[in-house]
Amino acid sequence: MRHHPLQSVLRELLASAVAVAVTTAAIALIDGHVPVLALAVLYILPVLAVAFFFGSVWASATAVAGMLAFNFFFLPPIHTLTMQDSSNWFALGVFVVTAVVVGTLAARARQRAADAEQRERETALVADVATQLLRGMHLEGELERLASRAASTLGVSRARLVLDNGLATTDESPYALGENAGTLFVPAVEEPSASARHRLLPALGALLAVAREREQLARDALAAESLRRSDAAKTAVLRAVSHDFRTPLATIETALGALESREIELSSDDRAGLLDSIRLEHGRLKRLVEDLLDLSRLQADAAHPALELWPANALVEQALDAVHRRDRIEIVLAENLPVVRVDAVQIQRVLVNLLENALRVSPPGEPVTIRVNATRKELLIRVVDRGRGVPADQLERIFEPFHQLDSAGGAGLGLAIARGFATANGGRLWVESLSGQGASFALALPAIETPAEVLS
Amino acid sequence: MSPKPYVLIVDDEPQFLRALATGIRGAGYEVDTAATATEALMKAGLRTPEAIILDLVLPDRSGAEVARELRLWTDVPIVVVSAVDEEQEKITALDAGADDYVTKPFAIGELLARLRAVLRRSGSASGEPVISIGELRIDLEKQSVTVGERLVRLTPHEFSLLSLLARNEGKLMTHKTILREVWGAAYQLESSYLHVYISQLRRKLEPDSAGPGYILTEPRAGYRLVAPASLENP
Repeated sequence: MRHHPLQSVLRELLASAVAVAVTTAAIALIDGHVPVLALAVLYILPVLAVAFFFGSVWASATAVAGMLAFNFFFLPPIHTLTMQDSSNWFALGVFVVTAVVVGTLAARARQRAADAEQRERETALVADVATQLLRGMHLEGELERLASRAASTLGVSRARLVLDNGLATTDESPYALGENAGTLFVPAVEEPSASARHRLLPALGALLAVAREREQLARDALAAESLRRSDAAKTAVLRAVSHDFRTPLATIETALGALESREIELSSDDRAGLLDSIRLEHGRLKRLVEDLLDLSRLQADAAHPALELWPANALVEQALDAVHRRDRIEIVLAENLPVVRVDAVQIQRVLVNLLENALRVSPPGEPVTIRVNATRKELLIRVVDRGRGVPADQLERIFEPFHQLDSAGGAGLGLAIARGFATANGGRLWVESLSGQGASFALALPAIETPAEVLS
Repeated sequence: MSPKPYVLIVDDEPQFLRALATGIRGAGYEVDTAATATEALMKAGLRTPEAIILDLVLPDRSGAEVARELRLWTDVPIVVVSAVDEEQEKITALDAGADDYVTKPFAIGELLARLRAVLRRSGSASGEPVISIGELRIDLEKQSVTVGERLVRLTPHEFSLLSLLARNEGKLMTHKTILREVWGAAYQLESSYLHVYISQLRRKLEPDSAGPGYILTEPRAGYRLVAPASLENP
């Protein structure tokens, strides 16, 4: 804590005077037992004390005051500042010079120690900031703590640290920490010592600048990384799409080439086979194009379901109508199923995609089950397969477009489209699976409360 | 060679395989098919085909690995079927010993032409001291080269390069193969070196021609030596 200058001058003056007075009293007690002139050396003690606490100026003043007091109280004629023996002047002169030199040296040593302590505090602060910096501290969160450390190091009551130029309040003075490093505000009445300021602030500023730069680089790296990931995702999508288009195209081109070529002779069975290949691959391409269109519509929120009331079993029936291998599908319907308000075509797509996925992943001969029941609020349609199941970390990812769990057919669009249409119709679609034990895809659609009335 | 050359087609896309097999069979070949690398190696081992049409992407192993394995015991011509984004795999397969490639989707006529070319090469006896291609005559014993009446002076490396290409007329030779054969294994990655020699050789063989001449460039893959199109059907 710093005090008003006048207060401290008075305090130091008083303390010095008391020190001289105490010494004078002590000499008065001993006087008579030893030659009085030898006792003058005792005034060195208050000089040292004053030098230690208040510095060399006060020490010199104390030395002169002590000399005058000694002359006044102990050297004949007593109680005057004159002297009988003029050789005593010489002795007193030597005493004053010695006292001043000793006092100055003591004050300087004391100052050095104080400086060393101050530097130690500054170094500790800078080291602390550097350590935090190396550990990757979050700068904004540490500003307050750093500011209070800086305040105690600079010997001011409080300080405020901002990372830009900042605005000083009326009772603050700003100290810029250097380019891109921020500003330190301290109370205007408490000016920190210039030397401490000059040593500490640039170091602090340099560290803060590095910390900020580091944070900026981390942010840039993060941005670059996410950009790179989205690029990689796009490349993967492009590769998947181009492969899925190219394979049927290559077959069609080859089959057409064979049909048209004059150097190739074909039986009627060969021709029929080639036409069959073309038809199959054409269907594959058509589905792929439709899937891509659906997906882009869904991603643009342009699915616009045409909502109508539908009984649950009608939805299941029309889905089964559109699946190739109906004979492999086992149907389990609960009683009293609710009606739902959905776009029947879109829900058909959802169920067909789920059923075809289930048929594809199930071992040949194993049935796929479609199980329909209801809770109080929702109609639940489950498609259960006996395939390899979905690993826990893939339960969400399999609904991402172009995500393929294995390379077994499909462009990886079916589940993404199913999820998109389910959501567009106010429903939810998820998968429950234990890896290795098959999977159960569940479609939940909000139930309409009074089915009998609505349908009648 | 049997009256109907036996061709093995390896591809994992069933519809593509069926269409291609029908087409090749209709062009007068005996055809068998394989859908995996294992099946292909097994079938080729049981009865060596006259040629193999090999897809680069197979479910169990890559086409390049199949080519490498086949080359351990047979020189059967291999035509690789690659997609546009399989450039690197294609070159790996050619380096591993495949003879040529077509890029999917392709016209079947193009594949048949490649097939005829590789079959002709594998049937023709090499080892004659003089090779004639179009107007180009290379005397391997005297180490002299003429184009028509004109004597072409070549450095020893240029001559080795030309005779390597000529001995493999029509066959796509990869950069790596040429560099290894002419300059040695230590140089097999120095393809810019090769481009310089090829352009010198072209200047000497085809001083005036602007269009494609004897040496054809297959971008990023290699070179092949052919009779110039203008001389093919005299």
